[in-house]
Amino acid sequence: MSKRTSQKQAATAQTAEVCSFYLGNGLFGLPISHIVEIVGGARPENVPLAPSFVGGLVHYRGDVLTAVSARKLMGMPPLEGKVADLLVVESGNGYFGLIVDSVREVLTVDHGCFEPNPSTVHERAKTLFTGAYKLKDKLMVMLDRERIDPLELAKAS
Amino acid sequence: MDELTREFLIESQEGLDRMERCLTDLESRPGDTELLADIFRSVHTIKGTTGFLGFKRLEKLAHSGENLLGLLRDGKLTAEPHIITGLLELLDGLRSILRIVESSDSEGDGNDSELIARLDELQKPASAAKSLQTDEMAALTSSQVQNPLLLAIEQTRKQAEASAAKAAPAAASKHVASAPATNSAAESTLRVDVALLNQMMNLVGELVLTRNQVLQATASDPKMTLLSRRLDMVTADLRESVMKARMQPVSNIFSKMPRIVRDLSQQLGRKVKLEMEGQDTELDKSLLEAIKDPLTHAVRNSLDHGIEMPEKRIAAGKNPEGTLKLRAAQEGSHVLIEVSDDGAGISSQKVRDKAIERGLITAEAAAHLPERELLNLIFLPGFSTAAAVTSVSGRGVGMDVVKTNVEKIGGKVEIESRMGKGTTLRLRIPLTLAIIPALIVRSLEQSFAVPQGALSELVHVSAEQISQGAIEWIDNAALYRLRGQLLPLIFLDRMLTAGKGGRMLEARDIFIAVLDADGRRYGLIIDSLADPEEIVVKPLSAALKDIGVYSGATVLGNGDLALILDPGAIAAKAGVSLNAEEAEAQTDEAVHEDNRGTEYLLVEVAQRRAAVLLSDVLRIEQVPISRIEYIGIRAVLNLDGQLLPIEDAGEILQAVHDEMQIIIVVCRDGERQVGVAVTNVLDVAAGSELFEAGSTQVASGVILLKDRVTSIVDLGSVTALEMNQQAAEPWNMYSPALVENTQ
Repeated sequence: MSKRTSQKQAATAQTAEVCSFYLGNGLFGLPISHIVEIVGGARPENVPLAPSFVGGLVHYRGDVLTAVSARKLMGMPPLEGKVADLLVVESGNGYFGLIVDSVREVLTVDHGCFEPNPSTVHERAKTLFTGAYKLKDKLMVMLDRERIDPLELAKAS
Repeated sequence: MDELTREFLIESQEGLDRMERCLTDLESRPGDTELLADIFRSVHTIKGTTGFLGFKRLEKLAHSGENLLGLLRDGKLTAEPHIITGLLELLDGLRSILRIVESSDSEGDGNDSELIARLDELQKPASAAKSLQTDEMAALTSSQVQNPLLLAIEQTRKQAEASAAKAAPAAASKHVASAPATNSAAESTLRVDVALLNQMMNLVGELVLTRNQVLQATASDPKMTLLSRRLDMVTADLRESVMKARMQPVSNIFSKMPRIVRDLSQQLGRKVKLEMEGQDTELDKSLLEAIKDPLTHAVRNSLDHGIEMPEKRIAAGKNPEGTLKLRAAQEGSHVLIEVSDDGAGISSQKVRDKAIERGLITAEAAAHLPERELLNLIFLPGFSTAAAVTSVSGRGVGMDVVKTNVEKIGGKVEIESRMGKGTTLRLRIPLTLAIIPALIVRSLEQSFAVPQGALSELVHVSAEQISQGAIEWIDNAALYRLRGQLLPLIFLDRMLTAGKGGRMLEARDIFIAVLDADGRRYGLIIDSLADPEEIVVKPLSAALKDIGVYSGATVLGNGDLALILDPGAIAAKAGVSLNAEEAEAQTDEAVHEDNRGTEYLLVEVAQRRAAVLLSDVLRIEQVPISRIEYIGIRAVLNLDGQLLPIEDAGEILQAVHDEMQIIIVVCRDGERQVGVAVTNVLDVAAGSELFEAGSTQVASGVILLKDRVTSIVDLGSVTALEMNQQAAEPWNMYSPALVENTQ
């Protein structure tokens, strides 16, 4: 799948496809090329004693994936009274889950609208974000897929 | 490395494995031409292929071996022990070069000329020397039998001097063409990558889960029942087939043993006969790999510490040749592997003294241990009974490694020994790793799986018992008195929330899962129990492995995820240590000062209360009345193939209906076992002795239990089965004088 999309990307080098999602009021994004599946209404199983960024375990096609809670990662309070969405993300170490409030849509964005992290962004946030796309209504902050891999997060902490 | 070399390596290794088996067989049947031909073929194949691939060093070595084997095959030489030793050296030489090829893709620049010279030397007693050989044979009859090895060396030397080197390498090449291809099995089998098999197993595991969910979802729909039943069957069959594909016969590791036994017994000067049984018993490949080392170690131990020197054996009236038995058999979902010898046995006294000397246990604690437990001390790390450290075993790392390795794969180790008769080590290995039986427990509103292998029993403690102090404390450590022994407790919820363990414990119903892991015994406190389930083990991401408390995760039948608890890691994390005995011993004394006395099982037999010494109780069985059979008028129960005489003093068996369950307390009475039919099992309580009025004589047959005088069941009076059966008078098994007082 990633092969096909990368060919597509090469053909339309000016644009990128991004899966956008909400965390609280903020809009965030991940390149669609490494998202394997979007699962609605996931119920992650809590893992006692796990590192703080772990949102739980999810069952995905015969494997048990570690899911990163995007809210916990950003230091936001847990989502109350709503079912979260789950992104299954492909990384160098296999698959992992990313728990977000809700997925908005898949956007085609122009590379020209992209800007790297401004220097005022907090140090920790800098390691998680690659930068932001300036959309018409608001900013979409891009997460760094490699950095939010649970293995990398475990190493960093 | 190219495909051709890889193929060559695999093929050669298989060939050499076969050769090793044949060589040790050859020792007992030196004239077996078929064996010789088989060995010859293995070496010849290697030689042929190496020439083709350009491995000059291998070719040279194999060539000189082939020459020797050719002579043997053609009957020009007999396979005497020194020749077999030479061939085994050849085997090791070839193996080590193959290893170098495997790691570096080249043969390395080692020098084999010494080995080749030795092999050439062995070829020398050829046809010219034959007459000399027979002469010597005749001349040295009796002493030769005594020490064939020495003589053989002597012979070789003499012959080397006497005869011109009429080696016959040509003879070998003549037979090259006739090496027949008997690998008919090769056509019906296929090499499969283990990774692919693992993946298949994973997918089957997934299918099993999906099936479980489908079965639950369609249970109420009659139209789907037939379909889902079919799915159920196909899934079960598929799972079995995939598991079978991963199975390998234990002969794969058993076949290494003759060589080890041969080499070691020579080195140690012992005479040992190796017997193997059940070699086609199959085990999952990964498990087979995992028990290879423990098994080798057990065999070495038996040879080194078990079987005595021949003189000693003769003095003890035994056959000078010791027997080492390897036995494998499937028992339900486990494979049992036994290593037994008819050696000196292990002295439990010695074990105890050693353990005390090494500081592994205190003398007080040891005094309380029953015989069987004493033997288990040899599994403690740092234990070794060998008086002197030898190169074979006895470096202080020994049985504990066997135990940990076997427990790591969910197996169990047991040891049994009788002084002067021998020792038996039993390894109980699960058939497969990927699917294990587990008990699902609840804590923190979550499900957790506890592997059944570590679980020894479950204890329910009611809120009422807790408020009465069933859980006791030493400082901040919670303890529970399990049959007089203090069991350290770990609160699962507190451990998982990293909560500080204060003394407070609200009175609520709890369960204690008594776990045995890595030599640590403790009780894990959980909220409630769910069903036992066969779970498919899924590995956890490396990011979670550091937590250490979980060994994996699984998907339950209802679709929920559950973490699999690792009993060993929990014990280690909570600081339950192996030397917890010390604390135990101290508190044991406290118990005695308390004069709580021994514990009894309080039962109800037809509205009367009676007691059985708890240490005599093996288990409590609930069986349908239909399983009780009669020999004459004596009631018996066929329990796992053993006939148990049932004492029915309360005439309970007569009183129940056909479909009812009855409770049988299985007790130990010396060597035999008897069953006692009871109406109800009431409690376990400590009893105190009663003194007969006006004297200091302890009243026999009764005990003060929960402030009531209770009679003790006299197991000795239960008539044995062999005896001429007579109906026991009701209650005459109890002390007659006190029957009146029991209510």
